[in-house]
Amino acid sequence: MTEPLVTLSSIRKQFGSVVANDDVSLVINTGEVLALLGENGAGKSTLMKILYGFYTADDGTISIQGKPVGFSSPREAMAAGIGMVFQQFSLVPALSVLENLLAALPDAPWLQPRGSARVRAALRWLTRLAPDIDPARAVRTLGVGERQLVELAKVLNLDARVVILDEPTSVLTPAESERLYGFIRTLASEGKAVVLITHKLADVGACADRIVVMRGGKVVDRAGASERTPGTLVEAMVGRGAMGSLSAPAPPATNLPLLQVRGLSATVQGRVVRDITFELAAGEILGVAGVSGNGQFTLAEALAGLIAVDQGDVVLNGFSIAGHVHDGAIADEVAYIPERPLDNAVVAELDLALNLALREARRFSFFPRREAIVGRARGLIAAHDVRPPQPALAASSLSGGNLQKLVIARELSGKVDLVIACYPTMGLDVLAAQAVYREMFRQAAEGACVVWISEELDDLLSYAHRIAVIHDGEIMGIVRREDADRQALGRWMAGRAMDAA
Amino acid sequence: MSPATSMRIVAVIGGGAAFVIAAAIFLAAIGRPPLATLSQMVLYAFGDSYSLSESLVKATPILFCALAVILPARLGLITVGGEGQLYLGALTGTAVVVSFPAAPMILLLPAMLAAGAVGGALWGGIAGVLRARCNVNETISTLLMNYVAVLLVSYVVYGAWKDPTSLGWPATIPFPKAATVPGVFGTRAHAGLIAGILAAVILHIAVTHTRWGIALRVLAGNRKVAAMVGFDFVRQTLLVMAIGGTLAGFAGICETSAIQGRLQGGISVGYGLTGFLVAWLSGQHFLRAIPIAILVGGLIAAGDALQLYSKIPSASATILQGLLFVAALAASGAAGRRSARHE
Repeated sequence: MTEPLVTLSSIRKQFGSVVANDDVSLVINTGEVLALLGENGAGKSTLMKILYGFYTADDGTISIQGKPVGFSSPREAMAAGIGMVFQQFSLVPALSVLENLLAALPDAPWLQPRGSARVRAALRWLTRLAPDIDPARAVRTLGVGERQLVELAKVLNLDARVVILDEPTSVLTPAESERLYGFIRTLASEGKAVVLITHKLADVGACADRIVVMRGGKVVDRAGASERTPGTLVEAMVGRGAMGSLSAPAPPATNLPLLQVRGLSATVQGRVVRDITFELAAGEILGVAGVSGNGQFTLAEALAGLIAVDQGDVVLNGFSIAGHVHDGAIADEVAYIPERPLDNAVVAELDLALNLALREARRFSFFPRREAIVGRARGLIAAHDVRPPQPALAASSLSGGNLQKLVIARELSGKVDLVIACYPTMGLDVLAAQAVYREMFRQAAEGACVVWISEELDDLLSYAHRIAVIHDGEIMGIVRREDADRQALGRWMAGRAMDAA
Repeated sequence: MSPATSMRIVAVIGGGAAFVIAAAIFLAAIGRPPLATLSQMVLYAFGDSYSLSESLVKATPILFCALAVILPARLGLITVGGEGQLYLGALTGTAVVVSFPAAPMILLLPAMLAAGAVGGALWGGIAGVLRARCNVNETISTLLMNYVAVLLVSYVVYGAWKDPTSLGWPATIPFPKAATVPGVFGTRAHAGLIAGILAAVILHIAVTHTRWGIALRVLAGNRKVAAMVGFDFVRQTLLVMAIGGTLAGFAGICETSAIQGRLQGGISVGYGLTGFLVAWLSGQHFLRAIPIAILVGGLIAAGDALQLYSKIPSASATILQGLLFVAALAASGAAGRRSARHE
């Protein structure tokens, strides 16, 4: 066997009293996709940030092609051919794609002539990765998936031999993920070494050659991608026995409709939903499948009563909760977990305690009792494992997964009649996702009806009572879980009606 | 002591030092002994009870105008309309006095003050409506409405309300005793100062400890979430702009009544803008604005005194004031960057 490209040996890193990496050894080979698998906080990102020169290891050595190296900054790591794409992108939103790429080139000149060889150099990877992205477009107009490709092109422009991707699919739609998997395979076949930091088994199955599983800062398993079943990988990630089983929610006790949606049409930011009609009984869970961007956000906002409806009505328990009724405020009987919590569900500057109390904020006494708010927040934070557990911390300092937990804690802790959840497990690892499902199903068991918008078709097929598919703002069809089959749902998602199939 | 607090202390000391150095260079450049002049200024500002009272007189409208900036800033609005609201408050308050010059004090004084406050509230409220309903940038609208208010005052003092006995001097009749805001501590400093400090304390408590303060913070942080939990941006915008205007308008009529004694063109020597700067220096903090307003008031009063006794043009005081703001803002900005890096 040839010499490995990168060898990390006995890496140790400690932050305060927390050991993030404990005696971790790892090799990265040319032409191979290595999946670094583990739960949030397992130490995967820390390890790769050490390789990238972002952190310095407390102990251990790194060598490239047998030569020991010590990077004290990402700049040095990049010069040695190591590139990393982070979860948070470092693109300038106001600049165009081309300008972003030009500015990131090594020895970027102060004056940037256009149309020259430099422009070709800046665009060489982008045109291969995503020929459909116009380089003149401003980055702020790009979707998340497109931004990620630009970021990737930026790293590849620096002649990276090792490309590290940190949770690349956590923000992508399934279609975008598929596209990314394709690129990753291409890169590997061209002799790049790719490290994929992830907690998603789908990523591993789609493109990994080799798997290293980390837990609690240690490597707990190494194997070829084909040597492990999903079950054993999950067990390695979360620890034996940590994974409780989640049983499908019991069927609703009654058929009496609690929620009636009749001919609902609405528009937000150019996204339209048209003529949505369905009924839900108490305790019933409706899964809404579909490719994201097909009106899910508009549907959720309209059901929650946050936007004016153009036509139709939403009736919960006999009372209309459509937009005009509460003047844009959410009804007490409705719990709403929107997508992108930082934009839609929390106030970044406020502390966790107030963010958790927002549902009651309108009804606070004129001089609210701070101790009561903080005390209640402490309980919710502990129950939902929000980290760090400090009620006085600003919400902006939480990671995406913990923000999601914060919103779930606030919305699902009370007694409600309708739960609207948009991608409630986005950014969460397996255990946290299970906890969210458990909360959601508990609400259903206590008599709430649940509208569950998701792209996790497997989960929808396992737990939802009925599944609707939304395409281009319309419901293509609704089936009971027992009658659903993947092919039919896939055709609906692509916009073809049942009878045409 | 928390790192943030110690950093703030460092910023105050550093800003002060930077100001003294810059001021010394400036004074040396215009051929004055720097240290002697600076210490002279301190004496002119706070050296004896007369100087102190003059400083407090200047500080009063500055404090009000600062409060009128800080409250909207808590909702994320940047207003520069203190000057215009101050003028309009002076105008509407004076309207009561020229209409009923012979009314008894018990009616005239409160009516005049209320009218001044309402005038300011109206001026701020208009910008609030424009912002909330028509999405007109409040910074631009308040800036432009300043000109309108100042010229409206000119219009009435040159025209309808001109005192016929004033021999062509553009001013209204002198305010009667019944329409004069009483002085305090037996000096020229007037009851408006007490009202301003009281307003700052009340507003501070209101924004930090009440449900209303939470509403403002939620609205400033995320408008969409605020709407979801039932806080109304339109209403709160109107409210903070009107309260801000009330404060500045109150300052305007107090200044006219207690200090000028009649309405005339130049009521304010840029109190609105100075208040804006004080608000920024305070970090949009009501209580911190009080000492800063008094300090800046002292600087302006000292500038007047310098012109009178040392024959230094009073514009020098404006230059020194500019240096003070730049030094203080630079120091607090630098300290903010340092503490951000040390987190």
